[in-house]
Amino acid sequence: MKNLTDEELMILVSEDNLDMMRILFERYHIRIFNFLLKMTNDRDASQDIAQEVFYKAIKYRKSYKKGKFSSWIYTIARNIFSDHYQSKKNKDQRLDEIEYKTEQEGSNGIEKDEIKEQLNQALKKLNKSDRELVIMSRYQGIKYQEIAEITGSTTGAVKTKVHRAIHKLKDHYLQNI
Amino acid sequence: MDMDCKQIEEKLIDYIDKNLDPKEYDAITAHLSSCPDCQESLNELEQIFKGIENEKEEIPDQSLKTSFEEMLLTEKALLQEPKVVSLHQPSKSNWKAVIQIAATIALIVSAYFFGKQQNQESFYEEMAVLQKEKKQLKQEVTISLIENESASKRLQAVNYAEEFEKPSNDILKALINKMFYDDHINVRLAAAEALAKFSDSEMVRKSFIDALDIEKDPGMQIELIQILVSIQEKRAVPSMEKLLQNEETPSYVKDQVTIGLPNLI
Repeated sequence: MKNLTDEELMILVSEDNLDMMRILFERYHIRIFNFLLKMTNDRDASQDIAQEVFYKAIKYRKSYKKGKFSSWIYTIARNIFSDHYQSKKNKDQRLDEIEYKTEQEGSNGIEKDEIKEQLNQALKKLNKSDRELVIMSRYQGIKYQEIAEITGSTTGAVKTKVHRAIHKLKDHYLQNI
Repeated sequence: MDMDCKQIEEKLIDYIDKNLDPKEYDAITAHLSSCPDCQESLNELEQIFKGIENEKEEIPDQSLKTSFEEMLLTEKALLQEPKVVSLHQPSKSNWKAVIQIAATIALIVSAYFFGKQQNQESFYEEMAVLQKEKKQLKQEVTISLIENESASKRLQAVNYAEEFEKPSNDILKALINKMFYDDHINVRLAAAEALAKFSDSEMVRKSFIDALDIEKDPGMQIELIQILVSIQEKRAVPSMEKLLQNEETPSYVKDQVTIGLPNLI
């Protein structure tokens, strides 16, 4: 079963062979967790949301329709992320607290961690949509075409937006150092 | 920054990613060697990309996996709850279902043996064997139904075959045969759809490739293309390209190939 494609496995899951979801979990949970962690900068929240992603994938298994599995699971992750942060009215305050925490942790790190921290600060200054595009494209290495599928856009539009977002990231990054 | 530099700057990410044609790539290399501003921009971008590349993936706490396993157990338990007990989905852990299936089989078998022999003893012996081998029998019944004269019976049998978790090779062969040769297009479509669920079998995958190569019906062509794309069968690419080149192929079939092909190459 381990050499089946993601899509073949998900078709089996959609036919109530729930154990196959375990293989998909193994293949995807770290990637999804890291995507969420970059979006939220909050380990606990990212764990919770990642958990919910796989729960929803099982609950809504019948709605899976032969498409690319990775696009499907990222679409679910984005939706839950949005719900999660729209329902929190004091989200900005929450994020500020976390920022403070990470700064403390990173302050005695080596130089490599400093670059990481500067990049995190610059990422945070981007709006949600730009941040998401930078994370998907550069941190997660997802191709423009697939980002287009996930976000319901076209490859050309995604590429232009990603490039703009990277240049904005660069400007914020340079202001920090 | 003049217009030229602005255009260059917009292409620097593609330049780093080597996403440009050689002519453009060389033009930018030439420009960079004589323009310190653009060179600096390039260095900054490279520094950022390097920083991103150097970031290690974070590993979630073990609790994520633990709660996933718990959730899976719960969902599986929910699935096991008896709803409608049908002959198609016998549940191993559910005795009620086993008894009902045995009763159903007994009814079929008793009708079959009624004219032949009315010996009670041998009947019960048969019953015992059948209970053990009910799975095998179900497969055989399905195969014989597949050859029924009535198209609707055949269609029913094909749908029935789809329900087996691990169908025997005989079932698969019968389904493949229906997909190729049945008189009714609906039976052929249903057979293809049923077979798609068993695409981890090499015999089944091969049959899809062969079928697309000789198929003439546009509806079947579309079904086969969709299946071959969804099971990521790269060996079907030549047949698909052949369809694109063939003047007789309807445009909507060609469209299906055009949509599907990029997923295979």
